[in-house]
Amino acid sequence: MRFLVAVKQVPDTGRMSIDADGNLVRSGSAGMLDPYCESALLSALSLRTEGDTVEVFTMGPPQASTTLRRCLEIGADAAYLISDRALAGSDTWATSRALEAFLSRYGCDAALVIFGRQTIDGGTGQVPFQTARLLDVQQFAYVDSVRREGEGFVAVQSYDGLTRTAKVPLGSVVSFGGIDLRGAIPTLQGHLDAQRKEIVEVDRVKLGLGLYSVGIKGSPTRIVRTQPNAPERKNRMVMINNPATAADLLRQEMEGLR
Amino acid sequence: MSDMFFRHRITDMSGLSDESKLSGRAENRIVPLDENELRGALIYLNNRSLPANIVAMRTGVCGGAVPQGGDVIELTNLTGITGVGKDDRGFYIRVRPCTTLDEIDAQLLSGLTDDTPELSDGALSEFRATGPYFYPVDPTETGSSIGGNIATNASGPLTFRYGPTRDWVRAIKIMFADGGYTWINRGAVHADGMRMSFCAGRSFYSFMVPSYDSRTGVKNAAGPLISENMDLIDLFIGSEGIFGVICEAEIYLAPRKRNLALVAFFPGDAEALAAAKGLKAGCGFLEFLEYMDGRSLELLRRVTAGDPAFLGLPAFPEGAGSSLFFDIPADSPLDGIIAILGEHGCSPSHVWCASEPSDAARLRRMRHSIPRTIFEYVASLKGEMPAIHKMGTDMSVPDAAADEMMAFYARRLKEEGLEYVMFGHIGDNHPHVEIILKSVEDFEKSKRLYDEFAAKAVELGGSPSAEHGIGKIKTHYITMLYGDRAAEELRKVKSVLDPNMILCPGNIIGGAR
Repeated sequence: MRFLVAVKQVPDTGRMSIDADGNLVRSGSAGMLDPYCESALLSALSLRTEGDTVEVFTMGPPQASTTLRRCLEIGADAAYLISDRALAGSDTWATSRALEAFLSRYGCDAALVIFGRQTIDGGTGQVPFQTARLLDVQQFAYVDSVRREGEGFVAVQSYDGLTRTAKVPLGSVVSFGGIDLRGAIPTLQGHLDAQRKEIVEVDRVKLGLGLYSVGIKGSPTRIVRTQPNAPERKNRMVMINNPATAADLLRQEMEGLR
Repeated sequence: MSDMFFRHRITDMSGLSDESKLSGRAENRIVPLDENELRGALIYLNNRSLPANIVAMRTGVCGGAVPQGGDVIELTNLTGITGVGKDDRGFYIRVRPCTTLDEIDAQLLSGLTDDTPELSDGALSEFRATGPYFYPVDPTETGSSIGGNIATNASGPLTFRYGPTRDWVRAIKIMFADGGYTWINRGAVHADGMRMSFCAGRSFYSFMVPSYDSRTGVKNAAGPLISENMDLIDLFIGSEGIFGVICEAEIYLAPRKRNLALVAFFPGDAEALAAAKGLKAGCGFLEFLEYMDGRSLELLRRVTAGDPAFLGLPAFPEGAGSSLFFDIPADSPLDGIIAILGEHGCSPSHVWCASEPSDAARLRRMRHSIPRTIFEYVASLKGEMPAIHKMGTDMSVPDAAADEMMAFYARRLKEEGLEYVMFGHIGDNHPHVEIILKSVEDFEKSKRLYDEFAAKAVELGGSPSAEHGIGKIKTHYITMLYGDRAAEELRKVKSVLDPNMILCPGNIIGGAR
């Protein structure tokens, strides 16, 4: 079986800060594999048995190949980089359209197409749903675990305390809900193995996409304004030596909040 | 700009300690907003002969920032990079003393801000065009301040390749107890034999430098670097604030490389230590070489059993009984490393390999979590045993004595029945032995043992304080290392530069009031 996993390079959150004007300062860092995507990849690798392949794909600038290389180090068998200047500025809709084009050409025999729930830079969580809709396949979101059963799979999904177990037909889109807090770390053997694996580059023309269906031109979303969320702090410090007085004050304050 | 300052009465002493967990006491807290306020505070205290304890990020482990009376001057407002320049050696930046290494690193990665003053023509644009650069001294605590690092001549894993803080300081601006200040550039003022003379503001200072020679030939952070014809700047680097306050500094930078970070797991400590020797001898390109013994791995296993996210790393490979942590440039040949590791029972699938900076940072956090776990453990005991503090060794020895020192550690710790972990800078023959205290008796036993270790290190030609400084809890090592007259000679120098003996009392030469 062939498992295709969507991954994304995101800014390294340990190297990011917000400047005085509220702009993101990326500190020249190359970025890192999104933790949701990493968790999805680890889940896919745990599904792999002999004869199966786990392949990763991403849409991004050429430097996103470092993230694909890391996926290969962790254990992925092959990697695809969807990269084209015309894809820059794609919103979630244009991104989904490009992914659908890729999957239609390079992944039509995939047993499962696997996503993380969202990525930490965008956080919309829209891409898995939209890609499944464009592919016209079933979509299983907030998945905790997947196991093989017969010719297909069974997924356990979690929605706010509600657990749902569902049969997953071949070719479906599955998005895993969580992050593995331990994460993965490549081994030296994985690093050596990855040197021997190729990253396949795919551009817009190979995907048969028109200039007006991707990138900024193909994106209906318009960002009007961004601003930092600066909550107003209402703390105040009160010095009281008598516990009974302090308790009275707390009670009054809490009543005032009702 | 004003030299007015606020002096706050301290009512709660709990925040006065540092990572040594030594208890502190002080009367007032002064937090200068700028150098003028710092100057005003020093003049005020000096005129009244009141102790001035200079404090930055409180990350030291020897109590150097822990006051034993008097006022505390916190430099927390004196932060930021104030310039970039280039000279024959390369790029350097000017920084205020309480700028942390994390802040410096983030700024250097982002290419500095557009309004960073240029200390030489075209420095900023050239810095950006040829970067990225980094400051290569990396005490494991990256939340430490550059001023504190210079004051203790701090070092860390990368000292293995790049040397200690001293090697990277181009110049410092020193403020004396009387408020006078001066810039001291490396190479600008040397002692004439044993006589040091220099001007600072309207003052002229002249004194005999101590008669001992502190160039030990091993990693050493025990006080200033003293020698005949010594450079004046070396008197202040490593002097832990007893001669003057560092209020600005210029530090050199090195080109930032792409590295692979590797953690190799071995069946046991003997294999790891043997592999460390092989790597040191056979791989000249290592950036650093760190050791985490089997007990350290077990400690981390215990902590992560209760909190799987504590390390943010997968479980250690099966059979991992000891480990080495090292960085190599990304384009280094791997065959030699694989062969050396293989000889000692470590296959490539038992080596974690981080090529992405975020992964390398996770591995560094793992290494750092060992002392941090011990610090927190000791802090948790302070309630029932207030007298105790952290007991970790900081001794380095020459290559030829490394085996003997390791055997001595193992034998004496076993004889005393103390629980411990061993980790740290094996590349510099400088592992840390952290004793896991269970009782006040353990603490007393550890203190005696620590002195034994220090004496042994000195006997073998090493240093009892390789990177953490002397502070207030290791002052007797100055005598042990440099002789009976050393502390008295340093005190004489202090009596010239700080006649009222107000600056950082208790550090290096003892005598806290």
